Amino acid sequence: MPTVRDLLGEIVDGVETVLLFSPSASYYERCQEVEDISTIVVAPDNGVGAERYVELPLEFADLSERIRFGIEGALDEGYIEEGNEVACATKLFDDVIDSVSRARAGDLDQSGVYDLFTNSRGDPEVIRDVLDVAVELGQKGQKGKPVGALFVIGDAGKVMNKSRPLSYNPFEKSHVHVGDPIVNVMLKEFSRLDGAFVISDAGKIVSAYRYLEASAEGVDIPKGLGTRHMAAGSVTRDTNATAVVLSESDRLVRAFKGGELILELDPEEY
Amino acid sequence: MALPAQSFGGDLLASNLDLVLLAVILVVGTLVAYLVARSMNRLLVAAGVADVVEGTASERAARRLGTSTVAVLSWLLGLFVFVLAAVIALGVAALFDIQSYLIDFIDFLPDLFIATLIVIVGLILADRAELRVAERLSGYKFTSTGALGVVPGLVKYGVIYIAALIALGQIGLADGALIVLLAAFVFGVVFLGGLAGKDLLAAGAAGTYLLLNQPYAIGDEVRVDDMHGVVQEVDMFVTHVESDGEEFIIPNHRVFRAGVVRVR
Repeated sequence: MPTVRDLLGEIVDGVETVLLFSPSASYYERCQEVEDISTIVVAPDNGVGAERYVELPLEFADLSERIRFGIEGALDEGYIEEGNEVACATKLFDDVIDSVSRARAGDLDQSGVYDLFTNSRGDPEVIRDVLDVAVELGQKGQKGKPVGALFVIGDAGKVMNKSRPLSYNPFEKSHVHVGDPIVNVMLKEFSRLDGAFVISDAGKIVSAYRYLEASAEGVDIPKGLGTRHMAAGSVTRDTNATAVVLSESDRLVRAFKGGELILELDPEEY
Repeated sequence: MALPAQSFGGDLLASNLDLVLLAVILVVGTLVAYLVARSMNRLLVAAGVADVVEGTASERAARRLGTSTVAVLSWLLGLFVFVLAAVIALGVAALFDIQSYLIDFIDFLPDLFIATLIVIVGLILADRAELRVAERLSGYKFTSTGALGVVPGLVKYGVIYIAALIALGQIGLADGALIVLLAAFVFGVVFLGGLAGKDLLAAGAAGTYLLLNQPYAIGDEVRVDDMHGVVQEVDMFVTHVESDGEEFIIPNHRVFRAGVVRVR
């Protein structure tokens, strides 16, 4: 008589690699005792001291996004090769690992989310911090009203030369970095006016109220998105910058790189 | 004239007065020591000492023995109070004829206590410092931590060394030679460190000015020596200047020495 174990055990039949998403230390240790299997930890920080580790910059609420990120990261680090069968153990409903899915590395189309964090001009922490700020701004808005914002990260020198000021730059001769505690409040205030925030590779806020003059010619972004997204698409195509946009109308946070939409997050899910 | 019974009782009391007093002082001393230890324990917990020592080697050692650093510290204080009481009791009872020694010892007791305390605090601080440095270093990915692996240990034993010096000084033992050794070590670190890091120091000094006054900002087109491009980043030590296909990372003291041309 078949049991549940037989039925569901097929999922992990013949996998060579297990991706553990944010495992507890004891779970990781138990996994290491399993023979013929290599474990890769995908987590916000390497608290378990894993040898093979992929940093997860965001706790993706969407499971497939999270798994895709882990697999792309493991591929990029050279832990697995294309065509390898991997099992992914993740947390879905609970605070412990409660779901397993199986995937073949390389079969998933490259979403470029891993690339967005690791191979951009800006530091990965800076991009993560900006996304955090944008998500928080999207959740709370400006005095309850939805607010839009555009952040351009990295390649700041070139971005500054491809834009012009709309007003006096409040960040002139200041040394404010994204991730500083005060920044969320400041950015919230300054997002009331139009224009983009320009942030350097290392996270220094170079300017606010910039009008981006990059040419939008040939930029292909989904229909229905406004001028802010068009500006983000065009500036990332003309420079090596990454852009993070908080939409005023649908309240989603989107990241652009190379003129293309890479990542879409719903602030309400975080 | 006193009654015989009374005088008998008085005699008994008088002959045993020393013993009674001894017992009373010992009991009171024990009680006070216990109370001091208890309140010290609470004080240390309230001051957050338990959190500070969390994870250090000494705390782990204490845990293995079924106690904690806070408990050890407070019981140590209690012990000293008790020893003090015992010594006073012995002096009152005059069981030994060592009055002058005793006074010296009582004078010496606080010093001894402070010295012990310094050694314990020194050990904890050393563990803590080692942990911190090791954590800091683990942030960088080294394939082998060979040379840098000894740095946390060096920090730890440096702190212990200084604590031992202070403790020795406290109880008045000869520590002249150790102080000379420390001076030589500090001189070595400062002098050689200055020699090795003079470029970094110069760049940092120039970088402070550049950051405060911002003679050029990110996005400006500049020329330093024959390096020409757009400023991408200015930090404490270096300036990143990028031109087509090339990124110059210029030490700030070089910017200062050569001067910078802003291209308009």
